Parts: sequence; structure tokens; C-alpha cells
Amino acid sequence: MRRRIRGASIPIVLVALWEAGSRAGALPNDTFSRPSDIVVAGARAFADGTILVATWQTIEAALAGFAFAAAAGVLCGALLGLAPRLERIVGPTVDALRPIPSIALMPLALLMFGFGLTMEASVVAFACLWPVLLVTIAAVRGIEPRLLDLARTLEMPFGSSLRKIILPAALSRIVVGLRVAVGVSLVVAITVEIVVNPRGLGYGMIIASQSLRPDLMYAQLLWLGLLGWGLNEALSRAARRWPGAQA
Amino acid sequence: MAVAKNGGASGSGGKECFLSLRGVSLSFGLGDHRRPVLSEVSFDVAKGEFLCVVGPSGCGKTTLLRLIAGLLAPSAGEVVYQGRPVTGPSRDRAIVFQDYSKALLPWRTVKGNIALGLEACEVAKSQREARIGELLAKTGLQHAAHQHPNQLSGGMQQRVQIARSLAQEPRLLLMDEPFGALDAITRQTLQDEVVRLAAETHTTVVFITHDLEEAIYLGDRVIALADNPGHVAAMIEIGIPRPRSQLETREDPRFLAHRHRLFGLLQGHRQ
Repeated sequence: MRRRIRGASIPIVLVALWEAGSRAGALPNDTFSRPSDIVVAGARAFADGTILVATWQTIEAALAGFAFAAAAGVLCGALLGLAPRLERIVGPTVDALRPIPSIALMPLALLMFGFGLTMEASVVAFACLWPVLLVTIAAVRGIEPRLLDLARTLEMPFGSSLRKIILPAALSRIVVGLRVAVGVSLVVAITVEIVVNPRGLGYGMIIASQSLRPDLMYAQLLWLGLLGWGLNEALSRAARRWPGAQA
Repeated sequence: MAVAKNGGASGSGGKECFLSLRGVSLSFGLGDHRRPVLSEVSFDVAKGEFLCVVGPSGCGKTTLLRLIAGLLAPSAGEVVYQGRPVTGPSRDRAIVFQDYSKALLPWRTVKGNIALGLEACEVAKSQREARIGELLAKTGLQHAAHQHPNQLSGGMQQRVQIARSLAQEPRLLLMDEPFGALDAITRQTLQDEVVRLAAETHTTVVFITHDLEEAIYLGDRVIALADNPGHVAAMIEIGIPRPRSQLETREDPRFLAHRHRLFGLLQGHRQ
């Protein structure tokens, strides 16, 4: 408890200084709105539900993109990890596509899907695919060869050896890739919203900023920080619970 | 039944053999890097026989076992199992790997690891529980059923591997230096248990070891491999009746004579 108070002391002092400074006129009000105003703006946004709708729109796009990337990345990664010959064929293409900044695909995604969820999720999926794919390939390659021998001598069909041996054995490492991807998904979703897509928290923030409502913008920024932290926490808990993670 | 099989072991002529290696050779690598590992290995194994293969490290013992398992294909010659050439692995030929800690699923309990063998054989769920209970009792693992492999000693882990292999109900059990990493007391206990289990389940065993005494103590026959490249240096009929005893069998004049002969053989090939 005492440690928590000590840890919180710097933010508390800074916020107090910030509040006092802007009340005394030492801080420009158009960039540093008062903490008290931020709290009021945040409370209003929650009260009328706008921030919750925007939050759902952002999370929806981030999760949709992440889920697609996770499924495709784990499955393709497992295949490529198990079949080095296939990997030699596909590898160069992966290496060519991977360095494309996902953000640069926004104009293309806009042409293909128009504004909305699909366009945003597709850019998120592209960005999330690579960490999952690469980590899964490495994880599956690193599986104890004895376990693969075992699956072979038991004549297990591919599906069940994937489910019972390969994925559980690689899981603790795959989870690392998934965690990176979740972080990326939120960043990319917000970016797409700020730049082109008129929905979600990113759009809310850029609108607040452009209509000179820094208080509302700060409120959303704070909320976004909380969301990111919560997501990471939830994921690391899930990872700890996964039975394979202790392997 | 499991005792009186010394006569049948050498009777390879005429009737079809249980397992037969015919001129099996294997090389690794390509072109100039081609390195022969096994050369012209031929022998027969009779049903119910306990065959030990002994040889210095690096002579291709493990490779030989993987060939019999079907995990590797020979460069020349063939492995014939129950009248058919081996083309791939089969549940009917179970392997107990040397490195037990790497061959068990660390995320499953002892029970779960044994269940893997049953799941692969598509044993109905309703029967699994009973079969697992049986196997746990047979291998002395009842108390460890709900523990994970990393909570067990090496000897116990190797028991789990043996139990999982038996769950497959294999007709041929392949063991790759299974007790090499265990302490002497544990090793002796497990040696006796493997002999008992193999006899009870009428399982044929091919047992790889680098320990001469272990080979003589366990085997109906011992094949000595020499290295560079691996080939059969000698085939010895042990002829010591079962049941054998850790104390008396090891002092038996026949035991000592075999030991002398094999020791000389393997030593001779080193120089």
C-alpha cells in the first residue's frame, strides 16, 4: 500500500501543479486544459454514451483484425514451421510483404472496402499477421523433435497432432507473438481512425482536437491508455492460465 | 512361454520371421559429404524374443532403432516386419526414447500422458479410465497419476514412457538406451520390470544399450555392433534361463564368459 502511494506521488503532484498552473494562467488553455475540465468532459462523454460507442467501434475493428491475423498466422505459421521446403518457397514473399508499413495500405484498403469496419480491420489484420506468423514459425521449429517422432509413431492424423502436441508445445512462445499483435492492433486501429476512418476513439480525438476541445481530447486519451493497459493485463493473465505456458 | 524362446530365436530359416533386417545400409549427407552410418546389417528377430543391441556410442544403434520404427528409410536393403517391408511408423511398434524428459508432454499429467497412447489408438472414452488404471498399476505409477512429468524423478518419468508405450499395445517394443541416465538401483529395478512386462504382454523387445552387462542380463540374444560404419560384429545366444536375478545371474559363469567375449570384441574394434 505504502509503495503504491509513493508510486502515485509524482502523477498527483504533476496534476496538482497542472491544475494550479492553468488556473493561474501560466499554461495555455488551448493545449493544456485543466484536469478538472478533462474530468468533466470525460464524465459527459460517458453520460451521453458517445465515448462508449466510439470505444466499441475501435475495439471491434482491432479485435476483428487481430482475430483474423491470429488464426491465419498460427495456422500458416504451424504449416511453414513443419515444412521447411514450403517455407523456402513462401519465405521470400513473406519477407517482401512484411516491410510494407501497414499504414501505407490505408489508401488501398479504402479503395477496396470504403469507409467502415472492414477497411479498418483489414489494415489491422495486415499489421498483426507478421508478428504472429514469424513467432509461430520459430516456435514450431523449436519444438522438441522427440515429440514429433512421438506423433509419428502414434500415427496421429495431422489435425490431432496439431491440437494435442504441436500447438500446446509451441504455445508459450506463440503467446508472445499474440501479445505483441494485440498491442499493434490497437495502435493501428487508432491510427486508421485518426487518418481516414470516421469512427471510433481515434476519430473522436481528432475531431475534439480540430474543434478546439482539448479537454475532451485528453479525456479520450486517458481512457485509451486505460484500455491498452487493461487489454495487456487481461492477455498476460490468460497466458498464465494456459496450461502449455508452463512448459 | 516368455522363458522358452532361446531355441526359436535363431531359427530364422524356413518360416517367416517376426522382424527381419536384410542388408540394411544407411548413409547421411550427399555427394562428397556422404557418410555411411550403417552397412549391410542383417538379422532376424523371433516373436516374443528379447533382443539387445550393444555397441560403442556413435556406432548407429539409435539409427538402427529408428529404421526399425520406420522413422527413417534405409538407403539400401529392407526392414521386413511381419512379412511386409516397413515404409513408415506404426502404432504396432512403440518406441521408448532415451531422453524421457523430452519425450513426455510436460503440460499433461502422468495420466494424461498415458491417455495420449489410448487416444491415438482411438480407445473409447468409457474404456480409457480402466485401461489407464491398469497401466498405472502395472508400471507402479498409481501414486503419481495426477502429477506432471517435471515433478517426477527420472526413473518415474521413464516408467510413464513405458506405460504410454504399452497403452499402444504394440507387438514390438523398441527401447533406445532407456535406462542410460538412471542411477544403478533404479536401473536394476526397471530392468526386471521391463522383462516382466514384456513377458506378461507377450511383447517382442529390441533393446538398445551401451552397457554390456545390461545387454547380457536382459537379452535372449545380444547383437554387438561395431562402428565406422555400423555393422554386426557378433551375435551371441545368451542361454541363461529365466527368471534371472540381478545378483546370481551376474555371477553366472556363462554371464562372465559372454561379458569377456563382448568386451574383447568391442575393445578390438576400437583400435
